[in-house]
Amino acid sequence: MRTPYENRFPELEPLLARVEKPSRYIDHEWGTRSSAEADYRVCLVYPDVYEVGLPNQGIAILYAVLNEQEGISCERGYVPWIDMADAMREAGVPLLSLEGAAPLSSFDVVGLHLPHEMACTNMLETLDLAGIPLHAADRGEDDPLVISGGPSVYNPEPLAPFIDAFLIGEGEEHIVEVCRAHERLRDAGATRLEILRELAKIPGTYVPSLYEVRHDEACTPHGYTVPRAGEDVPEVVHKRVVADFGATDPVPQSVVPFAQLVHDRLSIEVLRGCARGCRFCQAGMTYRPVRERTPDQIVSAVMRGLEKTGYDEVSLTSLSTTDHSCCPEVLSRLNRRLADTGIRISIPSQRLDSFGIDMALQVAGEKKGGLTFAPEAGSQRLRDVINKNVTEDDLERATRAAFEAGWRRVKLYFMMGLPGETDEDIVAIADLADRTYEIAREVVPPAQRGGVSVSISCSVFIPKAATPFQWCAQTPDDEVKRRQQLLLRSVRNRAVRVHYHDADTSLLEAVLSRGGRDIAPVILGAWRRGARFDAWTEQFDLSRWEEAAAEAGIDLREVATEPFDLDARLPWEHVSPGVSRGYLLREYRKALEGTTTADCSRTSCTGCGVCPTLHADNILAGERA
Amino acid sequence: MSDPNAASLFRLRTEYVKRGRLAYLGHLEVLHTLERIVRRAQLPYAVTQGFSPHMRLGVTSALPVGTSSEAEYFDLFMTEYVSAGEALARLTASAPADLAAQRACYLDVRAPALTAEITRAMYRIELTRADGFSFDADEVRALLDGIVGLGEIPYARGKKRKVLDLAGTLVGFTCVDLEGGGIELLLDTRISNEGSLRPEILLAALDRSLTPQVKREGPIVSTGIQDLAAISRYAICRTAQYVEDSDGSLLSPIRTDETPAAPLTVSSVPSL
Repeated sequence: MRTPYENRFPELEPLLARVEKPSRYIDHEWGTRSSAEADYRVCLVYPDVYEVGLPNQGIAILYAVLNEQEGISCERGYVPWIDMADAMREAGVPLLSLEGAAPLSSFDVVGLHLPHEMACTNMLETLDLAGIPLHAADRGEDDPLVISGGPSVYNPEPLAPFIDAFLIGEGEEHIVEVCRAHERLRDAGATRLEILRELAKIPGTYVPSLYEVRHDEACTPHGYTVPRAGEDVPEVVHKRVVADFGATDPVPQSVVPFAQLVHDRLSIEVLRGCARGCRFCQAGMTYRPVRERTPDQIVSAVMRGLEKTGYDEVSLTSLSTTDHSCCPEVLSRLNRRLADTGIRISIPSQRLDSFGIDMALQVAGEKKGGLTFAPEAGSQRLRDVINKNVTEDDLERATRAAFEAGWRRVKLYFMMGLPGETDEDIVAIADLADRTYEIAREVVPPAQRGGVSVSISCSVFIPKAATPFQWCAQTPDDEVKRRQQLLLRSVRNRAVRVHYHDADTSLLEAVLSRGGRDIAPVILGAWRRGARFDAWTEQFDLSRWEEAAAEAGIDLREVATEPFDLDARLPWEHVSPGVSRGYLLREYRKALEGTTTADCSRTSCTGCGVCPTLHADNILAGERA
Repeated sequence: MSDPNAASLFRLRTEYVKRGRLAYLGHLEVLHTLERIVRRAQLPYAVTQGFSPHMRLGVTSALPVGTSSEAEYFDLFMTEYVSAGEALARLTASAPADLAAQRACYLDVRAPALTAEITRAMYRIELTRADGFSFDADEVRALLDGIVGLGEIPYARGKKRKVLDLAGTLVGFTCVDLEGGGIELLLDTRISNEGSLRPEILLAALDRSLTPQVKREGPIVSTGIQDLAAISRYAICRTAQYVEDSDGSLLSPIRTDETPAAPLTVSSVPSL
């Protein structure tokens, strides 16, 4: 029998006394929208703690869209922090939704957001705390349908055995279709298998149990995935794109938390997609085409959203907000409207060439924190390889202007281990940082030089599915560590601080990005050994993963560092963001030659295949500079 | 107050509750939520000048996580006059029910801050006995008299050793058996620059007196909600806060008899 939907907060409440930040678990925030009487219930779960998950825009959008629907109620769930999870297990309290404090297992659908690879153990933690069988194959007729979606679904295989259906791409129309179909089939008394077969017919829906992994054609050690014999399902599941982005509600966010979050503000998605074409960037490939909201829509959305939520900060979000053709106009209009309110405007990501210091000034007002620039690679040669169309002059101009305008803290973001990287490229990172510091010394008056800070943040390149670098190997972790030391030694100026990412975490990210269904037992084994909250550096422990991998007969380093043949079938090619294999291959070859590719939103079509395949187009609000 | 703009500002004092699950909010969480409520209510709030402008809003002393209240206050400085009745209605419509505004009035912009003005706080505590315990109100009263007689309770906050001065902070208490089986404790406490009484520390001391047989390491620790041996559950509520008049009488911080800093033409000074 299905677990009854009922309020079990009284069982949770005594535990609040024993955990940190009890406000994570109390609900009753402003702006919740679920309805207690609905006949069909969805619980969307962000696989991390409340304060990390609440700001997520994807969940905010789907939460709004589902609760708009007649007869559907959508609630939220988060993963209890370790102290609470342990207390709940000890007390026999299952994972509860926030709004209704009802067991997750009582819902029709449990939706697990997949923000990044490292969330995989928390997804198992969620299912286990909820009392839902971890493997899709073990779920019975009374268990909820477990769906998953989000930015990291473009290689779904490592999680395939645990998920009933993946929703690929933009979910605002898709999830409603899936829920309505599920509701209809449920009411008609369909079996779980019948339901899954029907859902697989909805475009963008990948039902892993109807597919199998084969190794008979040229492929990687992880095989490739095809429909099971006799199953009427698409060979390639293309991502969904909303019919008209401009017509979607620009203010989906409604819930205002009590707790102070990492991103505690109103977010307005001003544009979707990025056509810069950086070859390492998965989001750049998977969020195409580019669609901008109009300045009028953005300004009115900001004002309405602030009034509705009471936030004191608004963030204009997207993959690259300053690329919006009307960004300066939007900023100056908002600054006029928000004068003397104490309300701040922020922009999450910036580019050297487009983030004019003028725009930075519009955002910062009197208070100038740090500015982050992302050259990604140290040398022009390597920046051409990755198609980061930024020159050293761009960087110099931008940092000089930033120091002149009063900024004192500049952070430079790079990646290490990019394809074809040499020691000279590493030394070039150090040179760039040293040069930036020298510019600061030239520009900043002597009395203020004490406040100058230049730092380097260097992450490790992870080859990602559906990018031109999907065939590339990750640099071995011991080599990464050597290059990190080389970077440290190469920075001449002692005032330049160097931060680099943990090579252990990066190794695992590569395994989860490149592996196939064969990695699923490793995830399960690591979770059984206590792995959870792996995205939290202090919680992550590679040894759990190494033991789990050994048990499953997998060599983590081999998975991460073995390049794939260009003609091999890859583990994820049955799922597609619409970017064609031919385009990715062409881009890969151009990378090897160091030839760059233009941005199609500024020049002409570069033939990535998204528009014809997905029947979509770039839609700009004005001319891009 | 030496604010040059003070003359053109209005100061609205609002009484609100903190109850139900929202008792688990921390002080800063409540503060941020109040600011958001004011913005949603679209009240013409004043903003501080300077590097990092923020809303001019003052609150009462911090209420611990888990403690509810029937009488919290905040002062909001505004640039325009909105009748107290309308401000109250707008605040109520913009707040979660468990943080609802109850009353509002205007007061002199130059009046002392809430934290300076309020010197008395009343608490109601309901105790539930743990299984296997049968103490009653008389026993609790006798044990508390003993604790009060010692004058102070040593405790630790983080790594710091501290002392709760009962002589200075506890004005009086009563203790009765409740019909449902629990015990109700009413505390009359004094708040001053020297300190205030955190009821949970007194409860922890009571718990130790009730269970001398339980071995405990170190002093009472003042962090979060206490895990007690003889008391299975407790609920603490701040029931009232007062301003002490020069003759010692207790006044509500909401003073409806004073001349408000509102235009003289406005006749409807809020009652309630």
